[in-house]
Amino acid sequence: MTMSLDQTSSVLAARKAHNEKLAARADKTRAVWFPWTVLALFLALPALQFVGNYNYVLHLVLFTACYVTMASGWNILGGFTGYISLGHNVFFAIGGYFAGMILARYGISTILLAPLAGVVCAAFGYLIGRVTLKTRGPSFIISSLALVMIARILFDHWSFVGGANGVALPATELPLAWAKLPYYYAFVVLAAFSVWASYKIKHSKFGLGLRAISKDEIKAESAGIDTRTYKVLAFAISGAFVGMAGAIWGEYLTYIRPNIFLLILVSVNMVLMCILGGKGTVAGPVIGAVLIVIFNELFVATLGASEINILATGAVMALALMFFPLGIVGTLARSGRLPRVLNWD
Amino acid sequence: MADFIQTLILGLALGGVLALMGAGLSLVFGVMRIVNLAHPSFIIAGAYLAYWGFRLWGIDPLVMLPVAAVILAAIGVLLYRFVFEREARSAKYSEMTVLLTFALAMVVEGALGGMFTNTQRVTSPSYATDAIFIGDVFIPTGQLYAGLASLAIIGGLALFLKYSRFGYAIRATTQNREAAELLGVNVNLVSMASFAIGIGLAGAAGALVSFVFSFFPAKHWEWIAVLMSLVVLGGMGSILGTVLAAFMLSVVAAFVGDYIGSTWSTLTFFLALFLILLLRPQGLFGEKPELA
Repeated sequence: MTMSLDQTSSVLAARKAHNEKLAARADKTRAVWFPWTVLALFLALPALQFVGNYNYVLHLVLFTACYVTMASGWNILGGFTGYISLGHNVFFAIGGYFAGMILARYGISTILLAPLAGVVCAAFGYLIGRVTLKTRGPSFIISSLALVMIARILFDHWSFVGGANGVALPATELPLAWAKLPYYYAFVVLAAFSVWASYKIKHSKFGLGLRAISKDEIKAESAGIDTRTYKVLAFAISGAFVGMAGAIWGEYLTYIRPNIFLLILVSVNMVLMCILGGKGTVAGPVIGAVLIVIFNELFVATLGASEINILATGAVMALALMFFPLGIVGTLARSGRLPRVLNWD
Repeated sequence: MADFIQTLILGLALGGVLALMGAGLSLVFGVMRIVNLAHPSFIIAGAYLAYWGFRLWGIDPLVMLPVAAVILAAIGVLLYRFVFEREARSAKYSEMTVLLTFALAMVVEGALGGMFTNTQRVTSPSYATDAIFIGDVFIPTGQLYAGLASLAIIGGLALFLKYSRFGYAIRATTQNREAAELLGVNVNLVSMASFAIGIGLAGAAGALVSFVFSFFPAKHWEWIAVLMSLVVLGGMGSILGTVLAAFMLSVVAAFVGDYIGSTWSTLTFFLALFLILLLRPQGLFGEKPELA
């Protein structure tokens, strides 16, 4: 009972036609103009500086874009693949220190170095992932926490990078009104790239494999997916995005120091944004990042104390996990009420 | 030689305290399969209770210990009722509860920080800074008392688990939840009781910690991986394993600190955690590689 060659190819052709029909139908439910408009708006936003001082607005957008990059990166591992890492700020630190040290020594801008920092983080991610991804579920989460602890001790005592005091980086020489501009554009472009990349990854064969792993790893493996390689690659790619964000973040703050990068709150924010927005969706991390940044600013502005901020972050995370495990995008999509402008998947 | 014995004694003294800190974590994991990342933050809450009891009314931390244990056990009951009971049917239960307890740890840290500020505190009863000399070797009395109290509590817990009827039920639930339920064990009640006992043990450990270490609300991040390494090395859910692991690792850490440098002594725990998860995820005394 073997099929002849042209029977096989006709089946394949029919399947391809069917897939294209599905894709065309999915495209109709999507409002592609929306992300492009938002991106164009943000690219034009610095023009505000001609009419007044809107540095705070630029900072907020930049900060959000930084977190969009990191959360989208985290989502590749935590959302698509289902491996929850509480240690992704290790890549934030590696990216920040790699680019920051080169900037401090040779004066090369971290914006140019960011892709290289991404590659370095991917390499580290590959090596770390080869080891830690042997564990699964809660064990993986614990191992990722241990990773942060180890990284913190190492960076705190590594005298070449200034130990716990860190290293001061040269500040930009641009006039105050335009000082944020290079970083602003770098982060907005990076955020747009990470969202585009996570869409592309989600719909590639690779992304399909990752999603199969998150559903049931053993079945995915028996269906012929090389789960080990897929997981490790997902870990490396997601680390690369976080590392690129870290590279530019260091220069923006003009300082690299362990307690900027290796704060547990940084990695919690990544996780929280994805959970709140919707793990495993493309729009989820973006919405989560916007919400968390607004939320943080409100708390800092009205209450000020960082203790209250930690308390509130924890409380929001707990409530979101208990009542909204699918996140905003996931919950709306399940009930079929996701507005077209947010359907980016 | 005196040096060697001295390091050994200091390691064992530290191990005694760590054993109690890890015991509650192990019990909760055994019965409920919850990796309670909030455990160290409850230890800190217990430490604050002992601290203020001593500071305001001059109550000895060892007297405050049962009080802290009971108050935290009550908190444990409430948490179980309102948070963890409803998560029991969640599809990704174990990952969900890890994240949930992580969020809980932040809530406790933020609340403690808001109430008591981030100043380093330590309870200072007279014995905390005293020491007994035997020849060249000294034994710090604070750690000695803490270690003895911890072993007494763990001993009591072991007897309770081994000989009481409720202890049977707890052990049965640890071994096989469904089978225990079939045989008429009220699994929900057992879970609630063991969660409360686990958190109560954290409170008791907190009272001891308050005069052995200095503490502040964010300190629990330093402990979580340390305690995790004990529980994982001992075999998740095995209290005896946790206690042995506590002594083993703290003695190793004491020697590492003595011969290589004190920075690296904490690293011992984290590296151990890493290695165990990779080489023998079921731990030294665990039987099934449940978490692998």
